[in-house]
Amino acid sequence: MSDDIIKEDDIIIRNYRTSDYQATLKILKELQSKFNIGFVESKWRETSGLRQFKPNLKRITLIAELKSTGQVASMGMLEAVKNNLGQYIGYLNNWATEKEFIGKGVGKILADRATQILKSWGCEAVRINMAYRGDKKLIDIFGKVGFIPIITVLEKKFETD
Amino acid sequence: MAELFDSPSEKNPFEELAVVYVLYFDEAQGHMPLLIYPVETYKNDKAFMRPIKYHPIWFLSLNESDALDHIDLEFKGYTFFGKKFLTKSNREKRRSGLKEETPETIVIVVSLPNKIELFGDELIRILTQEVKDKYEDKLFEIIDSEILKEEVIKSPKIQKRIDNGQAIKKQLRNSIEKTTNTFFSDVIRNSDATSIRMQKAIAYLAFRGIDVSHINTKEYKGSFSNIQLFDPNKQGEVNFIDKKPFIILKINIIEDSQEMEILVQNNSLHEVKGIIVKINHLKEYFEKEIMIETIDKWFPQEELVFISPIIPHIDEYIFFIIDEVSNEKLLSKRIDLNLLKNK
Repeated sequence: MSDDIIKEDDIIIRNYRTSDYQATLKILKELQSKFNIGFVESKWRETSGLRQFKPNLKRITLIAELKSTGQVASMGMLEAVKNNLGQYIGYLNNWATEKEFIGKGVGKILADRATQILKSWGCEAVRINMAYRGDKKLIDIFGKVGFIPIITVLEKKFETD
Repeated sequence: MAELFDSPSEKNPFEELAVVYVLYFDEAQGHMPLLIYPVETYKNDKAFMRPIKYHPIWFLSLNESDALDHIDLEFKGYTFFGKKFLTKSNREKRRSGLKEETPETIVIVVSLPNKIELFGDELIRILTQEVKDKYEDKLFEIIDSEILKEEVIKSPKIQKRIDNGQAIKKQLRNSIEKTTNTFFSDVIRNSDATSIRMQKAIAYLAFRGIDVSHINTKEYKGSFSNIQLFDPNKQGEVNFIDKKPFIILKINIIEDSQEMEILVQNNSLHEVKGIIVKINHLKEYFEKEIMIETIDKWFPQEELVFISPIIPHIDEYIFFIIDEVSNEKLLSKRIDLNLLKNK
């Protein structure tokens, strides 16, 4: 793979399939080791990435697959959650790209498709949860495509026995 | 229905399939059974006899019932086919205005499980013809004997009439048995071999232990029936799962969040549009909707996960997949959490 930017024509954006389990597990483990996203391996099951429907929530895991090799290059989850005011808010979660494809624009293609989907679901807005001590550079990148920081989320983890 | 009767020690498998009732109109007591085949155990059981005694055939004039050939009543998983006709009588009637020669009103009812109700039209036609041909002039003697049996004092003359009637009744029972057996084993001739209803009926017969293997062989043409299974060449390879457009692959209970996760696959090879997925819970006899989702597009072979909350103290749920346009139920599945937990 060259260092060139990957074009939209080079990849297929599709829904997660159970056959993507191992590839997505690998990406999520890397993400966990780097940013401590709270990923627990035992809770990521083969079916976890399938399209999910539950009251007040829709979820899809999108996969970016290289057309030439079929390799999973990037993944991301999008959710539409109904808030207390009856509005659907879209979320992009666990957005991650295989090491060798970082910086080649795959994530952006995936995110563009995700926002289109969330809009089609009737979401009022799209939010991205980022690490508080995350890279300032990332905030600038997202800022260029219209994402601005609006809330700070505080979290307290419960101690487990 | 025959399972409601006491099972005789030796019986043929067809006895399980059809129950034949021959009844008459008694001017003093109303609708009375004359003979029930295969057994008469429940002759006096009011609940059992309710669909027979109140069958709509009784309330139609002969002209009306003739025009309709026969009248059907569906009740608790069975279809009751009724046919009415008049026969000769020389019996002294017990109501003023009726003469000895006033004809007897005879009703024949055949009950079949709904799964094989398509055989009913032909079976009742053959049975009625048989009874009319052979017993039209004798049925009043059976009626006479049945009435006399209730007499407290039976003179030798009365006893002779009873015996005579019972002998005819025995012949009638044998005729019905023979006709029914012949019908199921020799006379099924159906030109519509591709009918889904016929296929279902055959499946039911096979399920009840009736040998239908002849229709699955190349020599079926020489057999008693011209019915064939849809694709005899695929014997043993037919996968009924493949025929269902949607299949439930797995149901999980997520104890932590008190949720139920249902994994469903679009089993067809084409994209399905406009699908409604609904989960209801059952409490006593009432259903309450707890989740409804519209799936705009469901891709071929795609697996979707539906997660429903588990309502405290509710163990029974029903999962539906419905076509948004036609409102047709494409899948319905009852889910019992107790069964899942005990697996």
